Formats: sequence, C-alpha cells, structure tokens
Amino acid sequence: MSEEFTWGLPVIGYLFLAGVGAGALTVSASMFLRGGEGGRGMHVDTARYGALLAPFPIIIGSGLLVLELGSFQAGNWFRFLNLYKVLNLSPMSIGTWLITFTIGVSLVYAYTYVRNAPGLTIEQRYKLRNVVSWLAVPLGIATAVYTGILLGAMPSRPFWNSPILALLFLISALSTGVAAILLLRALFHRAAKEPESERHIVHTGYLLTASDAMLIGFELMAVFLFAMYAQLTIGNVREAVSVLFTGGSLASLFWIVFIVLGLIVPALIEIYYVVPKLLYHREFVIPKGVEIGVAVLVLVGGFTLRYVVVVAGQITGPIGI
Amino acid sequence: MVDINEDSIASRREFLKQAGGTAALGAGAAAALPSAAQAAVSETETKPRYGMLIDLRRCTGCHACSVACKAEFDVPLGSTRSWVEYVEKGNYPTVSRSFLPRLCNQCTNPPCVPVCPVNATWKREEDGIVVIDPDVCIGCKYCIQACPYDARFLNPVTGAADKCDFCLHRVAQGLVPSCVNTCIADARIFGDLNDPESKISKMIASNPVTVLRQEMGTEPNVYYINADHSDPRQPGQRHEYIRVDTHRRNQERA
Ligand code: SF4
Ligand code: SF4
Repeated sequence: MSEEFTWGLPVIGYLFLAGVGAGALTVSASMFLRGGEGGRGMHVDTARYGALLAPFPIIIGSGLLVLELGSFQAGNWFRFLNLYKVLNLSPMSIGTWLITFTIGVSLVYAYTYVRNAPGLTIEQRYKLRNVVSWLAVPLGIATAVYTGILLGAMPSRPFWNSPILALLFLISALSTGVAAILLLRALFHRAAKEPESERHIVHTGYLLTASDAMLIGFELMAVFLFAMYAQLTIGNVREAVSVLFTGGSLASLFWIVFIVLGLIVPALIEIYYVVPKLLYHREFVIPKGVEIGVAVLVLVGGFTLRYVVVVAGQITGPIGI
Repeated sequence: MVDINEDSIASRREFLKQAGGTAALGAGAAAALPSAAQAAVSETETKPRYGMLIDLRRCTGCHACSVACKAEFDVPLGSTRSWVEYVEKGNYPTVSRSFLPRLCNQCTNPPCVPVCPVNATWKREEDGIVVIDPDVCIGCKYCIQACPYDARFLNPVTGAADKCDFCLHRVAQGLVPSCVNTCIADARIFGDLNDPESKISKMIASNPVTVLRQEMGTEPNVYYINADHSDPRQPGQRHEYIRVDTHRRNQERA
C-alpha cells in the first residue's frame, strides 16, 4: 500500500476526531438533559467532561481538513473560505455549514460549564445550558451521520457507497464519545466532598458503561450488515469488500484491531462490570485502570474503523472499464 | 495558448462561460464543428454537445496525443489529462495487445459535479463540456474521488482539481482539441453529437461503438470503436493473463 491516497491521514483523523467530538457533545448534552433539575441534574459532573472536551476534537479535525486542501498546500491559505460563499447539495457543503454551527454551539455549551464564567450569572448559565443542550443533541448526531454521508455519496467508490456506513459512523461516534468522557473523567476526577455527588458519579459511570456496551452491540450489528450485504451481492461492492476478508490487505487490521480489540474486548469487559449491578443489584465498582484501558481500546477501535474504511474505499473501485 | 494567468475569479469564469459563444462564430474554420448556418436553426437544436470518438482500429499507441496534451497545458510532471493504456492479454501464442486512449468523458451525468462544495466545477450549458474554475476550487479532491474514470487529478501548481476540458480554449477558436489535431492515425474524431450531419455523429451511427463503464450511468460523450474492455480485476477473467499498463504515475488503471 505504498500508493499515495487522494484522502490520507488528515481526512482519516478528521473523520475520527469529528466523530469523537460530536459523540461527546451528544452524549454529554443528552445525559445532562436526562439528569433533570434544570441546570444541576445528577449527571452534570460527568457531563461537564464531555462538554469541555467536545469543541476541541471537532476544531482540530476541521483544521486537519484545511491542511489537506490542495489550495492550502499550494499557498492559497484562505481559499477554503470559498466554502462559506456557497451552500449547495454537496455533502461537503452541507457538512461545512453543519460543522461550523456545531462548533459554535459546542463552544457555547462548553462555556456554560466554566465555573464563574464572566458575563453570566449562575442562573443564566444554567438556563443557557438547558437551551443549548437541546440544540447540541441533534447537531452532534447530524455531524456524526454526515461524516458517513460524505464518503457514501459516490457510486465510484463502491466500498463507501452504502447507506449503513453513516449509521455505523454514528454509532461509533457515540461510543467513542462515551469512551472519551469516561477516559477524561478517570484521569481528572478527584473524589467530591459530598458523598451525594460521589454516588452520582458512580451511578453515571454505570449508566455510561452499560450504554457503551449496548452501543458496541449495535455497532457490531451494523458492521455485520455492512459486510454481509456486500458479500451477498456480485460485482463492484463484493470485490471492494473482499479487502476485509481472507487475503485482503486490510483484513488483519479490520478483524484484529477493530473488531476484536476495538469492539469485542471492551464490550466484554464492560459487560463483566455491569452485570453484577444490572442483575443482582450489587454495587457498581470498576477499577480506574480498567476504565482507562477500555476507553483507550474503544478509541483505538474508532480510529481503526475510519482508517480501514477510508483506505479500503480508495484501494478499490469499479471493476471493468 | 490561452492566457491562464488571469487573476480575477470573475474574469476566468467569464471566459469559461463565454468560450462557447465564440465557438459558434469560429466554427466555420474547423470541418469537424457545426457550420454557422446550422447554428442559427433553433435555440435547442443548435446548442452543440461536443463529443469524441476514438477509433481503435486506427490507433497505434504512439502517445502523440499524450505528448500534445502535456505541451498544450504544461501539465506538471506526474499528472496527466490524457493518457493511453496498453491492454495485453492471452497466453502465447494466443495473445492480443490493444490500446485505450483515455481522457475525461465529459459525462452527460457527471458525478464529479454535484459533490463540489464551492460550485467550482460544472457542465457547461452551451456545449456540454465539464469545466473547473481553478480560481474557485479549494482542492478538496471530492470530485477526484467521485469520478469513476480517474480522469481528475490535483494540479500541484494551482492546487486545484484539473482534467481534460476538450481544449476549450482551442474549441472556442474553432479549432479541434490538441490531441485530435496531432493524432497521426486520424483515430480521434471530435465534433458535435447534436448535429446528425457531423462526421462524429455519422461514424457513431454507422459503427458499433462503446463507452467506458456504461453501467455507472454517467453517459459518457467519449465513444470508442473496437475498444478492448478487458480488466485484470474482473473476477471471471483472472485465469487469463491480462495486463493493463499506463504511463500514469501509479502505472495501474484506477
Ligand atoms: S469523466 Fe470523470 S471528470 Fe470527466 S465528466 Fe465524467 S465524472 Fe467528471
Ligand atoms: S477539488 Fe475543487 S472542483 Fe473538485 S470538488 Fe473540491 S472544490 Fe470542487
């Protein structure tokens, strides 16, 4: 695979980072809303990590995209602003506006979590947080879905041209979003003074871990459907998906790193820790090291998925001439 | 050669837009183009739809077209607007070797166009040529991905997507594209597919012709006579030796 790719690592990084950011945004805002109590629900301490994280991967990912532009590399550094002179039906155009809007909303959302944020009283912060959350949830989902549509829009790329790809990217975005939140929380959380909020932290951790296991289940299903339907056709799509199967150049990366290490192993570990509480109402305890390990695996899996998909789409194409 | 150094976006767009208008005036100069008299008949019928027919019974694989194109546009090293593939197949002594000159098909349904986020590429109403405005293009390479024929590339000098445009600047002056002009075997025929009296229309009507990857639904405007559509990646044909060589940077057909 020494050939140069039209879309290389920056695009892969972008798809991954935008997914993590969008996922963290959606997960954070929805758990905050689910927590109730206006601005101070029971999940707010954990939601904070997602809120403060979300804008950065999206912004960095979009920055990577600009670096990859031919115009930028040729020295026309601001040519990319042409994107803002047009809104057309190209997924990239819609995506640009969408992601710009999402970045804006995610920044406002994050700001409402900044303690003693200048210019806002506590009440105003809570109020704003509530309003912005309702925007953040759909925008995060839309951003994650769009990263799949971006690739899916082209019949010339049979590997990508599948309606389930966008769904797969959405699920992966939510799952990596959860992982990123749990990772940050494991790294930075200091035990709270009041036992009440500490209990909330543990409970939120349980909910997130259980949700992630469920998301991974859905993700496995989406991957299965993606690969199976490709296998069941003949022609371009089947040829394209063969890079994932025996002898294919991406097979080991796909099966070992993505499916096993990125999905199955973390899901099994999560289930192992979730089941005692789920079935026997025991206390939910998960060692910090395990929590970190699982989150890292999920994130590595999410990156590998983007890598495999972006590369596979480009080393395959329509057969025949 | 056309002045490609115009720096205002507007002026280049104007040129791309107006070139078709001038084509009608200069058309009398080239035998392959519609006559001025015909151009006056009616709005809809007179709009030319330019196409090319490549007669592989005549092609010798000499690459004169590739060279002419390189020179015409100063195409940077490693990039190609127009190229020739060599198709070798069979096992000795039952073998064949044929040539397949390639260029942008100026598709009737060009999948490269709707993906552009900045409207930098479009299919010209006036003659059906698919053009790119390098002063608007941001070089996102979406269109390069979307073209099923690998006809586009990123021009490293301009930082914009680039491809064959049927030598629009020549066609606007009533000339034929440079590759057609230079072909030593008269294997390339350029003209108006909307004009039933044009040489290209008559040749297409009176010969079995094919287009590339017809199943993609792009409706190419580049036709071939006697093309070998063999592809090494076709599963059913893997027992047979097939090799496709190109002089493009990554040797293989994409
Ligand atoms: S051959 Fe490719 S670049 Fe040319 S019009 Fe068709 S899709 Fe577009
Ligand atoms: S590379 Fe240029 S012409 Fe192609 S889609 Fe991107 S902006 Fe449009």
